[in-house]
Amino acid sequence: MFNLSANFIFDPLSIFFIFVILIVSSAAALYSHGYLKNAYTFPRKVFAWVLLLIFVCSMLLVVTGSNLLVFIIAWELMSLVSYFFVVFDFQYNRSIQAGMIYIVITHIGTAFLLAAFLMIYQAAHSFDFIALKDACHLLPMQTRNTIFLLLLIGFGTKAGIVPMHIWLPYAHPQAPSHISSIMSGVMIKTAIYGMIRFIFFILGITSPWWGILVLILAIISCLVGVIYALMEHDIKKLLAYHSVENIGIILLGVGLGMFFVSMNLPYLAVFALVAGLYHLINHAIFKGLLFLCAGSVCKATGTRNMEKMGGLIKRMPHTAVYFLIGAMAISALPPLNGFVSEWLTLQAFFLGALNTLGGTKVFLGICAAMLALTGGLAAACFVKAFGIIFLAQPRSQYAESAREVSWSMKAGMFILAALVIIFGLAAGSIVKLLIKVSAATLGVDGSALNLSAYNLTLNLQALMPGPVGKDSYLSLPYLAALLVILGAIFFVIYRLAKRKSLTYKTWDCGYYKVGSRNEYTATAFSKPFRIAFSFFLFPYHKTQKVRESFYHVKAFSYETHTTPVFKKYVYYPLLAWILKFARLLRRIQPGSIHLYLAYIFAVIILLIMFINKF
Amino acid sequence: MQEITLIGILISTCLMVVAKSLLALIRGFRWQSFFLFLATFLIAWKEAQPSLYIIAGLLLVIKVVLIPQLLYKIIKKIKVGQGLGLFVNTQLSLFFVLLFAYLAWDFSSQLIVYGSHAQAGIIAIALFLVLVGFFLMVSRITALAQVVGLLVMENGLFLLASAVSGGMPFFVEIAIFFDVFVSVVIMGSFVYRINKFFTHIDVDKLSHLRG
Amino acid sequence: MIILQALVFIVSAPFLSGLITKIKNNLRMRQGESILQPYYNLAKLSLKSEVLSETTSWIFKITPYILLASSLAGALLIPLFIYPAPLRGIGDFLALIFIFSLGRFFLSLAALDAGSSFGGMGSSREMFISSLVEPALCMVVFSIFLQFGSTDISVFCGAHQITAASLIGAVALFLICLAECARIPVDNQETHLELTMVQEAMILEYSGMRLAFIELAAYIKQMVFFFLIAQLIFPISLPAKGNFIGLLFWGLWYSGRIFIVALITALVEVSLAKMRLFRVVDYLGFAFLLGIIAVICAVIGV
Repeated sequence: MFNLSANFIFDPLSIFFIFVILIVSSAAALYSHGYLKNAYTFPRKVFAWVLLLIFVCSMLLVVTGSNLLVFIIAWELMSLVSYFFVVFDFQYNRSIQAGMIYIVITHIGTAFLLAAFLMIYQAAHSFDFIALKDACHLLPMQTRNTIFLLLLIGFGTKAGIVPMHIWLPYAHPQAPSHISSIMSGVMIKTAIYGMIRFIFFILGITSPWWGILVLILAIISCLVGVIYALMEHDIKKLLAYHSVENIGIILLGVGLGMFFVSMNLPYLAVFALVAGLYHLINHAIFKGLLFLCAGSVCKATGTRNMEKMGGLIKRMPHTAVYFLIGAMAISALPPLNGFVSEWLTLQAFFLGALNTLGGTKVFLGICAAMLALTGGLAAACFVKAFGIIFLAQPRSQYAESAREVSWSMKAGMFILAALVIIFGLAAGSIVKLLIKVSAATLGVDGSALNLSAYNLTLNLQALMPGPVGKDSYLSLPYLAALLVILGAIFFVIYRLAKRKSLTYKTWDCGYYKVGSRNEYTATAFSKPFRIAFSFFLFPYHKTQKVRESFYHVKAFSYETHTTPVFKKYVYYPLLAWILKFARLLRRIQPGSIHLYLAYIFAVIILLIMFINKF
Repeated sequence: MQEITLIGILISTCLMVVAKSLLALIRGFRWQSFFLFLATFLIAWKEAQPSLYIIAGLLLVIKVVLIPQLLYKIIKKIKVGQGLGLFVNTQLSLFFVLLFAYLAWDFSSQLIVYGSHAQAGIIAIALFLVLVGFFLMVSRITALAQVVGLLVMENGLFLLASAVSGGMPFFVEIAIFFDVFVSVVIMGSFVYRINKFFTHIDVDKLSHLRG
Repeated sequence: MIILQALVFIVSAPFLSGLITKIKNNLRMRQGESILQPYYNLAKLSLKSEVLSETTSWIFKITPYILLASSLAGALLIPLFIYPAPLRGIGDFLALIFIFSLGRFFLSLAALDAGSSFGGMGSSREMFISSLVEPALCMVVFSIFLQFGSTDISVFCGAHQITAASLIGAVALFLICLAECARIPVDNQETHLELTMVQEAMILEYSGMRLAFIELAAYIKQMVFFFLIAQLIFPISLPAKGNFIGLLFWGLWYSGRIFIVALITALVEVSLAKMRLFRVVDYLGFAFLLGIIAVICAVIGV
């Protein structure tokens, strides 16, 4: 019965995801050769390789399975293998803890997925995607809404949408860095694949509120993710929070696509989905790159705390360049790839607003503005990250003794950094390809959407049937060329002028010595944000003075923290409630076998009496 | 003829319920198994099924001879007191058992709408055996009583199977016999172990192990 | 034509700054420096030798080029005197925003590079302000988009009707411009007090020609914003051909409206005091609100 073509699907969407998985994982695999060296014993290294292999295969299975059973088995396998990676450094308590949080939450998500799958299965009596698709279109509205919500929660948990993001900043940083890059870059994207596959393809979109709900969740994810990232000083956790943010941006495209489908604007839906998919692959690349760089930095310095780094640009010049490229991309700076997808997403919002009425326009505009805010905050966050980690003077002994990493790690980073640039400059051709993917997924003829390969001219006549509008332009190669030429001109001018240049100490206000203790810290950098967003972060600080006498303070310590809102107001109460309930349940579990037998016996007797009644 | 065997089963079961010592319990079980053997033999004769003869023979060998023998041996080996340890005293137990009998009868008469009266009786008694077996497991403290209770339940299931469909498929039946036998052996050794470690076989006291 | 536009920007942008300073000084009953002072400054800086901090890296060195290149690239996207803009195909209004943020990103990094507290302070504040500017700016772009159906800058730079939406949008853009160009309620260019400075703190370590580049970049960026605001409030069509007097008047009005924006800026700067940093949140929130109102006006079609 097992038939290859019946259980696997290789449509453009799957192929796109296979591509995403393979590029990031191959770079990460190359990187891991150097990363694992000198850090683990030989058997653990072998174990890591085997797990990596299984992990990648399971992800490939997830995106190619055309059968509910294949899908769910691969999905579970993926979760389990990644759990092993989270607890890979099992000697640390926090690894075990992170693994616990991860495995529990991921299974709660899977439970929701299973519920949705069972409901779908009940309609179709088949596991095959095509059959499911036909059956789902006959389902009543109410059922479809329920299935949609279940799917959203289930996949949202894996993707890390707020408020189900809670596991992500624990689990991702705890895994070895090359795995963090795969988890953040690729694994959470499989949830997006699931959403597209099950909601667009199988379930079919009916109500506009689906799209709007996804948009709202996405906006919240963006903002929450980036604000928490700003507050974070653990470099890998910072990146993990940025994954929450970027998943939000991807979902903006996807949610907009849902909305347009339900509004019967197929071409715009294709376009919005293109924006989402473009950001998906971009995020896979640059987040993969950033995690690899973070891994290099952590390996070189032996710490993940940014406040202990600094001045690494002189000690690790290659890593610094790669990290800068990644940081520019994630901050959506032209001419790199993050800029293109953010531009496309904003355009999708704008074009959508042209085609809707009244309040929806304002809503879409505000969504776009929030996306812009996210972009600004992300840029601030990466100025902080790059500035504190790589610039100025080393802040500790760890950073002082850092050395550049080995060739294989550099090679892994180089591949992804090159891809960042390529995906920026070749935006036109990539958008063309993505239009094919997205049009095939939505079942729309995409050939009407023509974009020239060098310009991203949005041909509005093709995109929309009725309303007025004029084309918008963006050309990445020309833009890059313009920037480079102008920069080169000024460089030449500077060189021709040839003024005397001398090197001296940083200006110290006449103070005798400026050291690394005078530098701005990450905490200080993020202080304005902490205060501006205090309505959400609830920052508090502790000060402690050690006095010799009333007049002489010998030591002074200052700590500042932010309140983890979701943990404190959502998860802790939930946990407390569950524990209370469990304690109640424990009362009927005294440990006596007789009592347990009596429970069963009583149930049987009751059943018999119950049957006798009817 | 069949009625007599059935009544024999009933009575021997009641004997087990009122038994206060382990030896009496096992004796009751032996009688019960014996009457069950007779009933099976009669069914086999009536329906002229050779496989049922074999099963009846196995019943005789294993449940009437071997298992009680084994249980006796265990008792002798672990030198426990003869007391069963009752949660529910014998009078009250008898009252409960009568209630079960009523329930089982009520249930089986509903279950068999078109079946013969005699068959309804067999099903009622089979169900009754299951319930009593369970009741013995719940209300007796020592671990050996639990073993016997399980065996009684198994007897009930056997009776039900042979009454409704003229016995389960032959191989299944054989497998079940071996299963039961092996399980008794294993449980016996467990009881022996428990006794060795805790110097008693009161299952009730296992609750002290709870964390 | 492209080179001409670039040169016009480079030549005339410092003049605007000098003009604002002159107006401010005159309003304060001072003689004030010459309008041409920014040019003198640039020339002086270009001739001087340069001091580099020993803690800095290549980021510090390349930032002026990137900053100036990004400012000028942004300036080339707008149609100064050619319709449509010579480089319209390269980017639209959104691209303009992102190009400016490229320069800002590097300037903030360079500020952290020298390792003094001032740089960090300026960098942190600059990123704080600019990240809050983004949503308001996006709203303004959105309101313009709703009116003209495109984010292309050339589309709205021709003649068009003055609507409530574009007026309110222009006011919002003006508020944003004050924040982006380090003007008074948000930042003060005239002081070097460490508690208040933002832009000046970031460029504290620069000297010589690199500093000149950075200043020039700031002038150009300011002029781009002034031009866009002027274009929203005082739309103007191309001159009729041939008539020399008409052309002259057209040219006067064309540049005069930018001076009007500069004048308003000067008036605002004189009449307001610098805000506390955290009041900027309210200030930019207000700009965002204006942006929303502009969008609503555009939706209604006023």
